[in-house]
Amino acid sequence: MVAVAVAGAGCLCACGNTAEDCFERALKGNARFALPNGRVKSAYTASYPVFLVNPEIVAARPGDQSLSLHFFLTAAREAFLQAGISPQLLQKKRVGVIVGTSVDASFNCFNVYENWRLHSPNPHDKEYLVRYFNSSTAAAVSRYFGFTGPFQTIVTACASGTDAVGLAKNWIINNVCDVVLCGGTDEINLIPYDGFIRLLIASKDRCRPFSQDRNGINIGEGAGALLLVNKKLEQEFHLTPKGYVLGYGNACDAYHPTAPDPEAKGLKKALCFALKEAAVSSKELAFVNAHGTASQANDAAEAVAFKELLPQVPVWGSKGVTGHTLGAAGAVEAVLTLLALQHHTLPATTGFTTLDPAIGFSPSTQTTSLTKNVAVSNSLAFGGCNAALVLSTEDIHG
Amino acid sequence: MVEFYINGFSSFQGDISTDQLTAYFEARRLRRMEAIAKNALFCSCQALEQAGLSISEPKELALSVAVGAGSLESTCKFMDSIINDGDELSSPTAFAGSVHNATGLTLSMFLNLHGPCVTTGQFDFSFAGALLTAQQFLKSGQTQEALVVVAEDINPVASEYASQEPALFAPVLRCPQGPFVRAAAAFVLSAKPTEHTLYQINRLEFTRTKNPVIETATVATAAWNALETARFMQHEKSFILTDSFACATLLIEGNAYVKP
Repeated sequence: MVAVAVAGAGCLCACGNTAEDCFERALKGNARFALPNGRVKSAYTASYPVFLVNPEIVAARPGDQSLSLHFFLTAAREAFLQAGISPQLLQKKRVGVIVGTSVDASFNCFNVYENWRLHSPNPHDKEYLVRYFNSSTAAAVSRYFGFTGPFQTIVTACASGTDAVGLAKNWIINNVCDVVLCGGTDEINLIPYDGFIRLLIASKDRCRPFSQDRNGINIGEGAGALLLVNKKLEQEFHLTPKGYVLGYGNACDAYHPTAPDPEAKGLKKALCFALKEAAVSSKELAFVNAHGTASQANDAAEAVAFKELLPQVPVWGSKGVTGHTLGAAGAVEAVLTLLALQHHTLPATTGFTTLDPAIGFSPSTQTTSLTKNVAVSNSLAFGGCNAALVLSTEDIHG
Repeated sequence: MVEFYINGFSSFQGDISTDQLTAYFEARRLRRMEAIAKNALFCSCQALEQAGLSISEPKELALSVAVGAGSLESTCKFMDSIINDGDELSSPTAFAGSVHNATGLTLSMFLNLHGPCVTTGQFDFSFAGALLTAQQFLKSGQTQEALVVVAEDINPVASEYASQEPALFAPVLRCPQGPFVRAAAAFVLSAKPTEHTLYQINRLEFTRTKNPVIETATVATAAWNALETARFMQHEKSFILTDSFACATLLIEGNAYVKP
């Protein structure tokens, strides 16, 4: 078992502009939940609210960056600041970048496409496309900081952020890099906004994870960034780890395009491998940060896996304060999981109302103190992809 | 030092017909399948067969998929449905198919894959990321074998604009000199040699280049470096692929496997 140190972490989403801010507001259940007027042009904007990042941060986007890239760079700068290391000091190191996203890697340029379809191209459309092809998220992040290591944009839908952190851990363990800047990012965009509504899994109300009366997801936006370092670099720069990635597992359902396997076979396999790699048993876990989208199928499938593999482990669903940030979700939740462990405090699951007998347990219903220092964060994605991380505030086997 | 072994591979440019896939699957299962998924599936079947692996039996091998920009056919269909019919009648099926890992889902369902599955999407260097991912799963011990699949769709807007203005995307996207074409490639990797091993890869390096290399396009699409790797393995006993383009360099060094 090799624990990979997290030297620093940053986060922004609808419940805060920094990681600490997000956690404090998560404890209170506060978030910017509003109709996306002005951000998305859709017939649904009067009825389907979303979780939005602070408009001041949105407005600060430089003209040559996508919003997703701007979000990630903001979170990454916080991660470097927290680590106490400047990106400039790492120029001669092998620094890799892995970023998970959905929107930022998609051909979602609706206006450009519509202009092309209607044979009325805007003079700026070609310029936009050149920028799009030149701005693959991870490459753009690497270019911004001047790194020369490998880069990878993960697009495994809503598991992308978790995969990015897990694969970054492996890049460190297998000596691909000295440092990996990893995480996920996504922004509100017409395509997923309309798409989730049309799939009938979006809610007009604030989401209610694991509740009997849950009726769908709210999409959100944001970014989570973690700076993973190897032991040598940790010692060279006298870094104080803020946490550790102990294990990562991934497995696919091979079941359905948009629904998880109701028996959760893939999720169970991902959880088992992550725990095995971390050399941790379920009894050592403080809590599990569930994917908890508040869709009927997702929460039911997770419940099957948790009851079998993580019995008695408290469950926290954080999407009631972040919304479903798609490709960013796994990274945002990994940062929130580490913060909960650092603060020895498990927040209540915002939005939870009533026990669902079919689920058979309630998620966290009030703020409670934690005595253990290891937790799991997992993600499920369209396409049947499941991924799980084991995180800790200590190198428990070190 | 050997990074990994290759036990089967397949590649091609163009579009696979449904008839070519009915050798492996019932025709009714192939209805409405997108071209990018058909291409990926056909290459995968050929690579698995060459590697001596069953197509229909459940398998735990890792699936690492590389796409240029995802399933563009579905993405455009979804946008078309918004333009033609409005948000409230837009196609949920097209939205589900537009997700980047839709190709990975098709492969996992048709090939009965139950191991790890990750999709990488970064235009010309998706193959580099997918190879790295497969290598990490092999090294982690979660799986002993991996299927790396590259599947590139056509971007109709970029294709048309590039045909009008050939140099438009040249610094950032490897464009063909003629119309854009679809392409796919598949490779079966293993951590240890098997009785089917064909090639061993001794070096895999992927780095970002500070000074962008500008290269006029010659052959195909974002699958170019995967097609080149397959071509080398088809015809050469050893090769070094150095793909330095736009903002990155991919280096793959390998030789034909000789049983000890």
